[in-house]
Amino acid sequence: MSRAPTPLDRRIALGLGVIAFFVLWATERAVGFVRDESVYFAGAEQFARWWSLLFHRPAAALSDPVISQAFDFNHEHPMLMKSLYGWSYALFHQTLGWVRPAAGFRLPAFAVAALIPALVHAWGSVLWGRRAGLFAALSFFVVPRHFFHAHLAAFDMPVASMWLLVVYLFWRAEEDLRFAPWTGVAFGLALATKHNAFFLPVVLTPFGVLAAWRVTGEAGRNVLVRMAEVAVGFLAYLALLLAVLGREGLVQSWQLLSPQTLGLVALVVGLAVLALRLRVADAAAFLKLAPLVAMGLLGPVIFYVHWPYLWYHPVDRLAWYFDFHATHVHYAWTYFDVVLRSPPFPLSYVFVVTALTLPISLLLPIGAGLVRSVLRSLGDLVPALGRRVGTGGATEWLLAVNALWSILLISYPTVPHFGGVKHWLPSMPFLALLAGREFDRAAAGLSSVLQLAPRRAIAASIGLGAVVLLPALTLTVHVHPYGTSAYGELAGGIPGAASLGLQRQYWSNNVTGVLPWIDANARPGARVWLHEVNGLSFRDYQRNEMLRKDVMPVGGPEDADLAAVQYHQEFREQEVLVWQAFGTAIPSTGLYLDETPQVVVYRRPER
Amino acid sequence: MNETAHRLRTAAPALALVLVALYGLGFQLQLPRAFPSDADYHAVAEALTAARASGDVVLLHPWWTERARLFMPADLPVVGYLGDTADDLVAHPRIWVLANERLPRTPTADFRANFLPDRTPIGESRQFGPLTLTAYRNGRSRPVLLSSIDAFDRLEVSVEAPGGSPQPCHRSGSRVLCPSDASVEVTWHEVLYQPVRCLFVIPPSGGRTLAIHLPDAPAVDSLLLEAGITWEHAWLPGRSDIQLQLESPAGTLHLRVPGAHEGFFRGESPASGPGPWTLRIQTPNPQDRQVCVRLRGLGAAR
Repeated sequence: MSRAPTPLDRRIALGLGVIAFFVLWATERAVGFVRDESVYFAGAEQFARWWSLLFHRPAAALSDPVISQAFDFNHEHPMLMKSLYGWSYALFHQTLGWVRPAAGFRLPAFAVAALIPALVHAWGSVLWGRRAGLFAALSFFVVPRHFFHAHLAAFDMPVASMWLLVVYLFWRAEEDLRFAPWTGVAFGLALATKHNAFFLPVVLTPFGVLAAWRVTGEAGRNVLVRMAEVAVGFLAYLALLLAVLGREGLVQSWQLLSPQTLGLVALVVGLAVLALRLRVADAAAFLKLAPLVAMGLLGPVIFYVHWPYLWYHPVDRLAWYFDFHATHVHYAWTYFDVVLRSPPFPLSYVFVVTALTLPISLLLPIGAGLVRSVLRSLGDLVPALGRRVGTGGATEWLLAVNALWSILLISYPTVPHFGGVKHWLPSMPFLALLAGREFDRAAAGLSSVLQLAPRRAIAASIGLGAVVLLPALTLTVHVHPYGTSAYGELAGGIPGAASLGLQRQYWSNNVTGVLPWIDANARPGARVWLHEVNGLSFRDYQRNEMLRKDVMPVGGPEDADLAAVQYHQEFREQEVLVWQAFGTAIPSTGLYLDETPQVVVYRRPER
Repeated sequence: MNETAHRLRTAAPALALVLVALYGLGFQLQLPRAFPSDADYHAVAEALTAARASGDVVLLHPWWTERARLFMPADLPVVGYLGDTADDLVAHPRIWVLANERLPRTPTADFRANFLPDRTPIGESRQFGPLTLTAYRNGRSRPVLLSSIDAFDRLEVSVEAPGGSPQPCHRSGSRVLCPSDASVEVTWHEVLYQPVRCLFVIPPSGGRTLAIHLPDAPAVDSLLLEAGITWEHAWLPGRSDIQLQLESPAGTLHLRVPGAHEGFFRGESPASGPGPWTLRIQTPNPQDRQVCVRLRGLGAAR
């Protein structure tokens, strides 16, 4: 079976991507600026200025101090998306004036997010047919929280797109060598998007190596064993250096000519030479390994080249980057009436939150699809199970592992658990794919039972798809643009989640719900405290004409005429401090989603 | 029969999807019926204005339905916080429960287990859209004969060092400022999600003790002392305890707020004749042991 989608499915995939892009664009205006997003806006603007400098005064732009100055801001994350945001803003807002500033930044985010429905359809249609692909693509996009995150000029949805792209290209490259270099390029872009991508080799290497092992003979297997020896040798060498130099010493003494560089060069050269030998010894085995080789060669190069901040100080800045994410702070997060503040976090957290935030009509096919995929994969290992539920093969394993990887990774009790579903978004397109298969089975069963002619079977499938997707769509429309507050029917919707004691919202973007009231009711020059809204976001609301420009931000209720408090369990003190400062516990207005307080506004009584 | 079973089995996935989707749609269509309108809330407010008495309080059920605050009479306290069903609401002989049990997953079992004991409904419930207003006689209420926050202006505050003479504090605006960075004021704070107007005490540094002295307390049936660390300071790991010691004509009451305890710690002394009360507070980590103190002299149970 060819892994290439049919021309029609390619066009459908393209159409889905284009539609997704325009839907996101059309619904962008109402979406508030999450705390991090305004930081990325500011970073993108700053980096765009550096690119302009590079164009006009390249020698100055390429100097170490200028690069450090330009890229030091928000160096917690690499540059690909921020560069795209900055260029897009400079072109579509500053130069052409076609869009408001926020949309200028966000357009690349829409485009990258739109890859997901396109890729999901392209992949799903090949695996299980057009019906499955279409349902899978749509089912990813009509989940309220997915739809929300797809709007943001951030990194969570982009890295989900990139992860899917890399795995899809890897899968294609296992059959068609032409896709191998593209897998490498995509991996580089994924690394340049967010640090999640560093786990991709961990996930994909076993698939490439096992596939090569299966198809090759003794000569090929000897080469594979040698490759493993080189890898193990490198790890042993690294362990030795760590033992001798310590963690700090390993980083600080790393220079161009150093034992560390020697070890890395030896690893790359050794694996590259062995890969070439494998190609000579067994082209079929090399085909299976080629995407990994491309990832190993191109990924790090693209990552390094794309981020000027690394050019002069690659080791210490990379070390800082990894250290920052390995030791990330834990933000407070409410889970069944308990404010989680530090690890260990509940093992079930990710599964439970996923189940409670998905619309129930999608939770069913997703859950069933995951169970089937896991069982079929295990059926490869346990023949008795395989006879009962079927066997999967490499593709089934690939889907199951990627559907579970991010979910299991974040489930680890010491990994930070804040951020709703955004940290395990890379799992969700794969779960949507598995849901597509379940839908296809259901639709096929329906047509079979009703003995429908092909045309009527198509109509029945469309009808079934519409019925299943409709609750998710209505939920998404209902909660937009407050996606971080969305809960599915299993939770009892937003009010049910409040009674269950789940996190009400996060990232402060829901403040958009009260900005019109503030605009209408604040006196000229009023001092306004938007709790949890940082100064950059405040500025962005003003420059995007979502908040009057005459009102002034203040840092707390003591100095404020108006206060808008974000309702979080961990911030109850903040609201009480407003009562104290304003001398009243009676709000003036608020954003109450399905009765749940989200943002509560107080006005200081006239003296 | 086999044919029917086969057909059912074949159609089961589609049926399951349709049924679940219909459930989802039904849920969404039904949900708005659980939401009170502004008119419903206004009607509740009017009913409360007409029927209220001194000492009344409104309790929200579920606790988070705080949109009601927008509409309630300005001088009628409204209580709604996580855990409020277990609040004795000592100062309130009558509680108006404003309930919305049409909301999904309303915590009814918690309400029954924690709120209802010692509370008796008074009269019939009234319905305002999805809202139910019911008055309860609060069997846990007691007359509050003296409250430390009401007596704040009469408090004499000083800092005591081991072996030294007490250093007096002075009043600055609404605060009492003391040596060793200690202070006392009456403010709103949060103690385990509960908004409380209390004596907000920052204990003195250097192992010293803050002494809060009330020279002329009346006779009471009991003294209720409650202390809790405010906001997120309570959960900070590795912090020390707070020691409180209340001396009154009834004797000495010791209370220890453990380092990692969230919420109020309570102690009650027996009946006391008229005379002075002195509360002493001491902790080794004063800056993150900011403590909310409520000290009340209570009358006999109603």
